[in-house]
Amino acid sequence: MEKKTTYWQENLRLITICLVIWFIVSFGFGLLLVEPLNEFRLGGYKLGFWFAQQGSIYVFVGLIFWYGYKMNKLDKKYQAEDES
Amino acid sequence: MNKHTKIAFMVAPILAVIGYIAADYYVEDQAQEDKVVQLIPLGDCDVIYQTCVLKSGDFEVNVFDKDNLTTVNSTFPLDSATLFLVDENNQATAYPLGMIQSPYYWHTETNLRGLVASAGQSYKLRLVLNIKGGSYIAEFYTHTN
Repeated sequence: MEKKTTYWQENLRLITICLVIWFIVSFGFGLLLVEPLNEFRLGGYKLGFWFAQQGSIYVFVGLIFWYGYKMNKLDKKYQAEDES
Repeated sequence: MNKHTKIAFMVAPILAVIGYIAADYYVEDQAQEDKVVQLIPLGDCDVIYQTCVLKSGDFEVNVFDKDNLTTVNSTFPLDSATLFLVDENNQATAYPLGMIQSPYYWHTETNLRGLVASAGQSYKLRLVLNIKGGSYIAEFYTHTN
């Protein structure tokens, strides 16, 4: 039971990290900080505009795979602990 | 692809839609705030000879006088428009403009033509245009050529 709780806590921690990154990238960079970021340019586009249009989506896709990778590791860790 | 990645791929679009709705609310609130934007004259402004264009981004306003009717023609529909004639003592006389058929055209009768009838004369004007809760303002001189 305790192992299940710890597994779930680690899972929640990972989800929280993902959601915080999701918020920073989409709302932070794409909306709240768009004006200061627009002072910089990336590939000819204003950085704030680029985050709102493309950058945040790249980060979302990256987050999905990172979450999958981390959860896989978590599964293996707790499976190994169960077997030992 | 493991099960967690599959779940994440299913959850991500839901988050994206929630984010889209939240962003829409945020931007809508910002758009409702009153904004004041200054219009800049494009080149020489001569209201009598109908060569007076004020501009800010995509928004352009043409100010001209014909038969003592001072007219404002804008590229976007206006909610209201007021023209001020400012004398040499900086005293402004307000002329609220009335809409002519469509919200793109506004006019009123003024004595501007009499004030700048001769070549070389100039007169200070101010214009306040209200559009979707925001205001466009301009202070400029008409100079008769």
